[in-house]
Amino acid sequence: MDTPEPLLKIRDLHVGYGKKPILRGASYDVVPGECLTLLGANGSGKSTSMNAICGFVRPSAGSVLFDGQETAGLPPHRIFALGIAQVSQARDLFPDLTVEDNLRLGAMRRGGKELAQTLAHIYDRFPRLKERRKQATRTLSGGEQQMVAIGRALMSRPRLLLLDEPSGGLSPQFCEEIARIIDTLKEDGVTMLMVEQNLNLAFRAADRFIVLRDGEVVDGGDVRAMAGDHDAIVRNIYL
Amino acid sequence: MLMQLTLGGLSQGMIYALIALSLTVVYRSTTVVNFGHGDFVMAGAFLSYVLVVLAGVAFLPAAALAMIAMFVLGVMFNRGLIRPIRGGPHIGLALMCIAAGYLLRGIARMVWGREVLPMPPVFDMDPIFVGDLVITGDAVFIIGTVLVLLLLFFGLMALTDLGKMVQAVYQSPRGARLIGLNVDRFNDFSWGVGAALGALGGILVAPVSLLHPDLGASFLIKGFAAMTLGGFGSLGGAVLGGVLLGIAEQYAGAYLDTALIEITAYVVIVAVLFIRPQGLFGRKAVVKV
Repeated sequence: MDTPEPLLKIRDLHVGYGKKPILRGASYDVVPGECLTLLGANGSGKSTSMNAICGFVRPSAGSVLFDGQETAGLPPHRIFALGIAQVSQARDLFPDLTVEDNLRLGAMRRGGKELAQTLAHIYDRFPRLKERRKQATRTLSGGEQQMVAIGRALMSRPRLLLLDEPSGGLSPQFCEEIARIIDTLKEDGVTMLMVEQNLNLAFRAADRFIVLRDGEVVDGGDVRAMAGDHDAIVRNIYL
Repeated sequence: MLMQLTLGGLSQGMIYALIALSLTVVYRSTTVVNFGHGDFVMAGAFLSYVLVVLAGVAFLPAAALAMIAMFVLGVMFNRGLIRPIRGGPHIGLALMCIAAGYLLRGIARMVWGREVLPMPPVFDMDPIFVGDLVITGDAVFIIGTVLVLLLLFFGLMALTDLGKMVQAVYQSPRGARLIGLNVDRFNDFSWGVGAALGALGGILVAPVSLLHPDLGASFLIKGFAAMTLGGFGSLGGAVLGGVLLGIAEQYAGAYLDTALIEITAYVVIVAVLFIRPQGLFGRKAVVKV
């Protein structure tokens, strides 16, 4: 079977903060329809990788090709317009605006033509958000806020969805809910790149994984092929 | 007498409200306190003076032109001088604002020296008498103009997509970038709006007072006092703070001592910071330890 053309190609990516290098030549692909998870210890460059893809940090060298177009060095709003949306670790919601305003804002710069339809779809997917649509987002629980963050990103009908620690700070119950949400996104064919410390969630949701260590890709493969041997991956991450 | 003082305070307070609001617009978008803002107010007043007195333009088009010019100046100031040093220490931003303000003041001094210039009255209408209350044309004009502008401003912010996007940038610049907004452009826009609104404060005050290159300094302090009273960063608080400060000045001047008018703003700043640092509508800062 032919391997599909990657939607995102990262090649020899170097990113640093000041003089401190974080990514040192990382290379990997994300193919359409898959969920790829980035694994690695703290400081290995997972979130930096996300931020470089979204334009929040400028790579010092290397290439980020999205659907054949070079995006390294473009500002975040230009990259978003191409169809890359991120659910960040801190969620970065608009706390004083209502749930519905947060969601609608997600479609202001992309996906606006189908706004009403997409909003209805998001409410179908997250009925709890529909119940709370007039509430300020700062009054929601952490799990509900995460739903808003995911819903807001989906409002732009992204071609690639980046999820940075989607289960971060959530109860085990909500982690399970996040896993179910990712399952339905996969069923809808949403291409995802995920950073996740919760390995159970990462292995359950992802199709493929790669392991970053000191800013380089040191391992990777099919999650199903590694079923039952997750310990080997864990050793590779931390040892 | 109380009603007359309240009306006078309201009229003056509307100017303070406008200046505090314009300071807050810039502060909310970029977290920069524009210490040169008083001189933007002065520049607006002098621009309208030049257009009305020297170029013979009617007051309303002159006011509109002056506001447009100050909007452009605000945008250029942010793009050229603030944006390049945004990543640096806050003191650098403050000094840049002070320097720009003094530059504007210096230009005004070069042209007019320390002369005090009278602007012709704009609303030369007969006062309206309601019982003992005397309502002057200037008061009607100032209160009316600012009220209309505030309704437009808050209506735009609350009811339109543009207003929601501006609020989004205020509440989370990173979140705004995550939804594809060009935050730098919004910040330019905020600086432009801030400069234009501040200039309008100067334009409104020009016909009811004498113009001089140093007039911005006292308005800056009044703006800060109004912001402090309303709560730093609160748009509505800035407006209410300005109105309350204007009224407080009148009451203090009439019932206590006229000298107090000049220092009411300082007393307000000290009292609010001591008793309720977050002001009327500001949020209490919570620090995780």
